[in-house]
Amino acid sequence: MSSRLNSFILASAAKCIGCRACELACGAAHVQGGVSVGSLQGSIAPRLYLTRVEEICVPVGCRHCEDAPCAAVCPNGAIQRTDSGVLVDEEYCVGCKTCLAACPVGAMEMAQIWKDGRPALRKVVDPQNSDTFILEPALLASKCDLCHERENGPACVEACPKDALILVDPMKVKKRRNIEAALALAGVDTRTDFRSGEER
Amino acid sequence: MENLTQVVAIDQAVCTGCRRCAEVCPVDAIIGAEGQPQSIDTSKCVICGQCVLACSAFVSPFDDVAENLPAMRKERGLDADDQSLLFAAHFRSDIKRVSALLSDPAKKSMVQCAPAVRTSIAEEYGLAPGTLTPGQLAASLRRLGFDAVYDTIFAADVTIMEESSELLQRIESGGPLPMFTSCCPGWVRYMETAWPDLTEHLSSCKSPQQMAGALFKTYGAEIAGVGPESIASVAVMPCTAKKHEAARPEMQASGVPDVDAVLTVTELAAMLKAKNIDLTAMPEEEFDVPMGLYSGAGVIFGATGGVMEAALRTAIAVTTGKDVSESGVKFFPAGEGIHRASVDVAGKNFRAVVVSGLANAAPLLEDVRAGKADFDFMEVMCCPGGCVAGGGQPKLLPGVDRADAIAKRRGGLHRHDKELPVRASHKNESVVALYEKYLGEPLGHRSHELLHTHYGDKCGGH
Repeated sequence: MSSRLNSFILASAAKCIGCRACELACGAAHVQGGVSVGSLQGSIAPRLYLTRVEEICVPVGCRHCEDAPCAAVCPNGAIQRTDSGVLVDEEYCVGCKTCLAACPVGAMEMAQIWKDGRPALRKVVDPQNSDTFILEPALLASKCDLCHERENGPACVEACPKDALILVDPMKVKKRRNIEAALALAGVDTRTDFRSGEER
Repeated sequence: MENLTQVVAIDQAVCTGCRRCAEVCPVDAIIGAEGQPQSIDTSKCVICGQCVLACSAFVSPFDDVAENLPAMRKERGLDADDQSLLFAAHFRSDIKRVSALLSDPAKKSMVQCAPAVRTSIAEEYGLAPGTLTPGQLAASLRRLGFDAVYDTIFAADVTIMEESSELLQRIESGGPLPMFTSCCPGWVRYMETAWPDLTEHLSSCKSPQQMAGALFKTYGAEIAGVGPESIASVAVMPCTAKKHEAARPEMQASGVPDVDAVLTVTELAAMLKAKNIDLTAMPEEEFDVPMGLYSGAGVIFGATGGVMEAALRTAIAVTTGKDVSESGVKFFPAGEGIHRASVDVAGKNFRAVVVSGLANAAPLLEDVRAGKADFDFMEVMCCPGGCVAGGGQPKLLPGVDRADAIAKRRGGLHRHDKELPVRASHKNESVVALYEKYLGEPLGHRSHELLHTHYGDKCGGH
C-alpha cells in the first residue's frame, strides 16, 4: 500500500450482478464468528452499499479521500487519516451524523458497532423509571476500514463471485497509466477498459 | 399437517435478481429476468434448498424494507423479534411447531437426527466444518427437553436391511430393475415430477427419516407405554425437502403422521442458542436405546456413495458369511458426478452406480427409459456431495471455500464410521432386536405396513 495516497475499493458496474455477497462478507468480517451465517455474533451492518439506479446496480463505499470531508467536519476528532486509510475511532464518535452529511459518496452510515464481541453502548433514561439509566446499543459512525486487521485483505473483494471489486492502489494505477500513455504516444494501444474493471 | 406454507420460497421484496440461485438449481425451477425478483416454479422444484444456500441477498439494516422486518419474520414463521438475518431465498421455519410439541404435557417427545447433522452443527458455534459432535448433539437435545433422543442412523441401518432384501427379491423375481435408492426426498420428488413413468424403479422403502418416525409411533410407543397419538415425533435434518416429505399424506403408518415436524441444522442451532444451550460446552452423552444405537454403515448415509457402501457391507457379509468392516469395492469415476463399480455377490455380477447431484442423473434415466441401462442398482443424492451439502446445512458465508467445507463434513462422517465398534447395519444389536421382537423379518408383513410405501402417486406443486 502506498503511504502517500490511500488505497480504496472500486466496483465495476458492468460486472456487478447485485448479489450482495460483498455486503454480507463485509458485515460478517466486522463481527465475531466462523464460516456460517448462523455463527455470526452481532448484527450485520455492511460498510459498502449495493446501490440501484434504474438498470444500474453497484456497491458504493468509502474512497478514503486524501482531504476527507468526514474527518474535517467531525466535531470530536473521531475520524482520522492513518496509514490504513481514513478510520473512525468509535471511542470518540458521538453519532452526530455530520460526517454522513458531508461525505460526497454516502459512504458513512450510523450502525451498531461491535467491539470485542459486544456492541458499543449508550446510556438512556429508563422509560420505566426516569430516575435511572439503561444501556442500549448506540448507533455510531460506520464506514469502510479496508479490513486493515484482516489477514486476507478486504472481505468484499474476496467474496465477490464476479471479481467486480478491486482494491485500488492509486500510485500503481497512476504509474500504469503513465506507461500506457507513453506507449499510446508511440502508437501502441494498451488502454485498460475501466468498465470491465480488468487490471492489466 | 394442514395449513403449511410453501417449504422453499423467494421473497420478492428482498430478491435482487442476481440469479445465482438459478445457477445451482438442478431442475431449472427459478423463473425471472436478470435484475428482477425471481420466483420458484413449484411444479418443478424438488425443494432441495440449494437456492437457499446460494442466496446472499439479505435484508440490511439500511434497506427501506428493513422497516417491515417484524412482518417479514412473522410471514416466515419466526418470532417478530428474531434476530437472524433474512435472505430472499429461504425455507419455512418450523421452530414454533417444535416448541409447541415440546411444551405439550400430553406428549412424549422423540427426536431423531440425520447422520450429517453431527458433522456440521458445530459450524453454527464458530467451529470448523467436519468437527464431529455426536455426543454433544445428544446432550443438547436432551437439555432442549426431548424425552427420547433416538437417531436417524438407527433407521438407516433398518433401511439397509429392507432395501438389500428388496434388491435381492427384485433380482430373483426379475424386476423392476435397475432399482433406485429412495432415501433422498429431492431425488424422489424429481422422479415423481420429471420421470413419472420410471417411479416403479424406486425402492419401496421409506426414507430413514420416515422409517424412524413410523417406528417411533409404533415400536417406540409400545416401549413408552402410550398410543401413537401421544407421541411428538421430531426430526433434525440437513435437508429442506425432508419438511415436505414428512407432510406427505401417505406417511402415516400408525394413522397419525410418522414425523410431526422437521427442523434443519440451522433451526436446531437457533433453538439451542435461544435456550442458552452451548452445544460445544456440553458433555458427550449417548443416544437412547434402543433406537439411538447405530452402526458406521448408517453414518455414511450422509455422504455420497454411503448408502451403496453400507448396502455392500451387509450384502457381502450375508452372502459370503464373511464379516467385513469395509466392502473393499472400488468405485471409478464415470462422468460428472457419477461413479460405477462391478462386483460379484453370491456368484452373480452386480453393477452399481452412484450419482451425486440431481442434474447428473438424467442421462442414466434416459438409458433406463430406453431399456438400455447397464446397471442393477443406483444410489442418487440430490445435493452434490450428499446430505453433507444439503439445503438445511449451515449456510456458508461468501468467500468460504464451499467444496473444502463439504469435503471436511464428509471426512467427519467417514472418521465417525471408522471409530465405531459396529460398522455394518445387520450387526447393530438394536436392529437385530427390532426384527426379533417386533418386525419379524425384512419385507415381512409389519415391515411392509410400517416401512414401505408407494412412490409416484403424489406430485404437482408444493
